[in-house]
Amino acid sequence: MISDKKDIIDIVKNKALTYQQKLFNLANISERLLESREILRYTNEEIIHLENHMICDLNEGYAIYRPRYIVADYSTFVKKGCKFLDISAPKNIDELLDGLLILYNHVPSITSFPVYIGNIDTLIDPFITDEQTDYIKIKRFLNHIDKTIVDSFCHANIGPNKTKAGELIIKTILELKNPTPNITLRYNSKVTDKDFALTAVKACLKASKPSFSNENLYHKDMGEHAIVSCYNALPMSGGAYTLLRLRLGTIAKASKTFKEFIEITLPKVTKLMLNMIDKRIKFLVEESSFFETSFLVKESFISRDNFTAMAGIVGLADAVNHFLASEGKAERFGLSSEGDEIAHHIMQTIASNVNSHKGVYVERTKEKYLLHAQVGANLSDEDNYNTPAHRIPIGEEPDLHVHIKQAAQFHKYFVSGTGDLFAFDQTYLGNLDAVLDIINGAMEMNYRYITTYLQNSDLVRVTGYLVKRSEVNKVERGEVVLRDTAILAKGTNDNSKVFQRRIRK
Amino acid sequence: MRDIIVNKIIPFSTVDGIGNRCAIFVQGCNVNCIYCHNSETINLCNECRECIEVCDQNALTYLYNKIHYNEDKCTFCDNCINLSKYQSSPKTKKYTVEELFQVVKRYKPFIRGITISGGEPTLYKDFLLKLFKKVKELGITCYVDTNGFYNGENLIDLIKETDNFLFDIKSIHQTKSLCRTQLKGCLENLVHLLNLNKVEEVRPVIIGDYDDSKNTVITVAKTLKNYPDVTYKLIKVHTLGLKKRANEAN
Repeated sequence: MISDKKDIIDIVKNKALTYQQKLFNLANISERLLESREILRYTNEEIIHLENHMICDLNEGYAIYRPRYIVADYSTFVKKGCKFLDISAPKNIDELLDGLLILYNHVPSITSFPVYIGNIDTLIDPFITDEQTDYIKIKRFLNHIDKTIVDSFCHANIGPNKTKAGELIIKTILELKNPTPNITLRYNSKVTDKDFALTAVKACLKASKPSFSNENLYHKDMGEHAIVSCYNALPMSGGAYTLLRLRLGTIAKASKTFKEFIEITLPKVTKLMLNMIDKRIKFLVEESSFFETSFLVKESFISRDNFTAMAGIVGLADAVNHFLASEGKAERFGLSSEGDEIAHHIMQTIASNVNSHKGVYVERTKEKYLLHAQVGANLSDEDNYNTPAHRIPIGEEPDLHVHIKQAAQFHKYFVSGTGDLFAFDQTYLGNLDAVLDIINGAMEMNYRYITTYLQNSDLVRVTGYLVKRSEVNKVERGEVVLRDTAILAKGTNDNSKVFQRRIRK
Repeated sequence: MRDIIVNKIIPFSTVDGIGNRCAIFVQGCNVNCIYCHNSETINLCNECRECIEVCDQNALTYLYNKIHYNEDKCTFCDNCINLSKYQSSPKTKKYTVEELFQVVKRYKPFIRGITISGGEPTLYKDFLLKLFKKVKELGITCYVDTNGFYNGENLIDLIKETDNFLFDIKSIHQTKSLCRTQLKGCLENLVHLLNLNKVEEVRPVIIGDYDDSKNTVITVAKTLKNYPDVTYKLIKVHTLGLKKRANEAN
């Protein structure tokens, strides 16, 4: 959305932001001060659909000067070091961890912090020499990340194979209980050692990470990839230029009938979003100097050829519930077979439009943009009316087996990421196998990503990222907090009641 | 036996064997332990209809000489169970093998197996034999949670078909007063199953005045000495959750 000069002074005078948060907010405001008609050649119709909240650009801004998500191949650093930063290839674990921390400082993203910091166990494992001292070093490394990359969208991957470094990382997670970095175990039940997976389950319950991604399925759909930011699956050595999203609940409300929605409004709004994605990518590639100047490109950490873009959706539940209600049905999305049929009709319509659109500069994903189940944000009142992704609204969640099966049928649409989170009670800690059985069952049903946490934990997964409840309480009291994601979490909790998810007993 | 009477099905249970298991609680037990926390599973419903009077939600009705239970109306206040003099429940449901198999099949992707608990599952040995053969076609395991009061000779086929047992040892010498039964032979049955490598967990309940607790704990521990993979779980009796009648028995 367009910003104005008043936003600048509001940020400067804000009593609940750190200096760094103010700096990044001011940069974002300046990007949104520019006229998008001029800089991106948005049409009036496109702007109208941003302003009526049917399309959301997640406040990415109009003068795009870096890709939204960068998935740097950090193994390049291990092999060659970095000329631009004048760092040689690491010879020991100290040089590796030190070098990575420096490098992270120079990997941008939409948040200005890196959203991906590598498959850290495979990066670290060859350098392990002494388990005891290396454990202390890994702990210091991860704690440094938590205190300097103050944004929980920062994501590390581990697995799928068990390594000594992987085990030490999980031990560290349990000890530190930090929100950052977000961590995902790339899980393949046929490859990942079962004991390692059970240790990961324990950490996931007690420290809310690592989450589990379906390595087999993502590898089949995407090839070399990483799980970044919340749970986005993106090509390795590339990333995503941009992410726009459709507010399906809002679009449904504006349509007189389902027929009008599915045949006229939805295809039209989807097309407008795709056109805006085209324009954003063209500006970034052709007019901003990012891919010409970044050392990440010059030194092959990333390549322009490996980038894609994401077409997101939110509010599938709300769109379906709107049409069920308009038919006089009391059924709700999540427990309605007719609701599921409507949802598939909606998703097939969007998928067909997205897949028939020839994307620009996205050779890596066959000239197509990838559908993404966006987890929500609090950028407009309309976000109260759009449940994250294709999720069942909190408060209406059915029994776990029904819930997972209902959600599983929609995972096929979202190649660039979707997933669910479930809050468990303490008894699951006494039977970690039971949680792994549920994860295996979900993956068997082609779930892309699943995660959990204990309901009484201070660390809570909001939509895809982690926050501490205690930090969000500070935001509610108007206090300054270290991580911007605690601020985002307050808004999301106000809308979606994420702290009150159904507890699975 | 065509049908089984089921008190409750818990789709995902974390306390009825290792892994995620569907726990099926059958109605009817051959003993009546003074501390039973599922005392409403002990007897079959005698259609006394007292439960109907205490159901505020009209979830129970009597029609054609039978009590009918409407789960959709039930708020699970458990008045009907707590006020029953007969250690029974009007909320049971009959299943054929095929019907129960279809229920299990729904949960299949997420469960490692089923555990039949109760009540006392071995009272339904013929039914379970048929059910287990069918459930195993799904590639999942079948457990029995037993009190050990059964005649092993009558159970040869079911034991063969059962992957593992969870075994309650109530007492070595005081089953008469603790379980109010003349039945015997639990320890011998446990030893037999151990020899077949078919025991996952053994659980004595520790209850001071009634049980020869120390003797039971030591005897079972000696029995399990050569079976390090068998979990030995001591359960401390507590009154929380006990039904009114069971409390009175205390």
